[in-house]
Amino acid sequence: MKLTDREQDGIVILEPKGKIMGGPDASLLHDKLHEYIEINKTKIIIDLNKVDWMNSTGLGILISSYTTLKNNSGELKLANVTEKIKSLLVITKLEGVFDTHETIEDAIEAYKK
Amino acid sequence: MKKPTISGNKIIVPSDPEYLNDVDVFIEGILRGYGADESIIADIAISVSELVNNAMLHGNNSEINKAVEVSIDNKNNKVEIVIYDNGAGFNPDDIDNPLDDSNLLKEVGRGIFIVKSLMDSVNIESTSQGTKVTIEKAI
Repeated sequence: MKLTDREQDGIVILEPKGKIMGGPDASLLHDKLHEYIEINKTKIIIDLNKVDWMNSTGLGILISSYTTLKNNSGELKLANVTEKIKSLLVITKLEGVFDTHETIEDAIEAYKK
Repeated sequence: MKKPTISGNKIIVPSDPEYLNDVDVFIEGILRGYGADESIIADIAISVSELVNNAMLHGNNSEINKAVEVSIDNKNNKVEIVIYDNGAGFNPDDIDNPLDDSNLLKEVGRGIFIVKSLMDSVNIESTSQGTKVTIEKAI
């Protein structure tokens, strides 16, 4: 997995790419998220557009991100959730946990409301 | 063992998640050779990654000298994959239901549930000498 990050309108956008399956690169997302929380950047969108698939390790990272941000008065939004990941969220009953949006722009707009 | 070894339709890797990608590349390559569609390849790849991760971390307790063995076969367009470890074994009935409200926000504990959801069949044989998991999926 590769990870890029950027800011738009004061909101952090994390863009993982590839497969999130565990191993050394799985901590990249977790560590980057915590770097932003430490500097009080707690409005974060994870763009899943370029994630081929993830397993339960990936779901665990999303849950960890969700709870960590919630505990730091922040909020996590997911954007561009692919069909494969959406079906995993459905079968694990996690679709009701995460705030998901069709596009990055939709997720940013949701933060402004 | 220090690195993955491939022999025919079998890959053997040390118990280190660093090698999950080697298993994935091996399995996906063979599935594409079988002509499986990409959605089914993803379902199988997700399942194999779950089981190999479990075998490395929970079965072999991350002992690098213990190997995880993965073999794949195509029987009349039904793919059978077998994953072995040499760990102390586990009782699948001891796994909490990840759909219970009290477990929903736990970061771990969904792997076997996801595999059972994605595969046509899952068979777990676990003893104190190791665990053998066999999964099947029509392609």
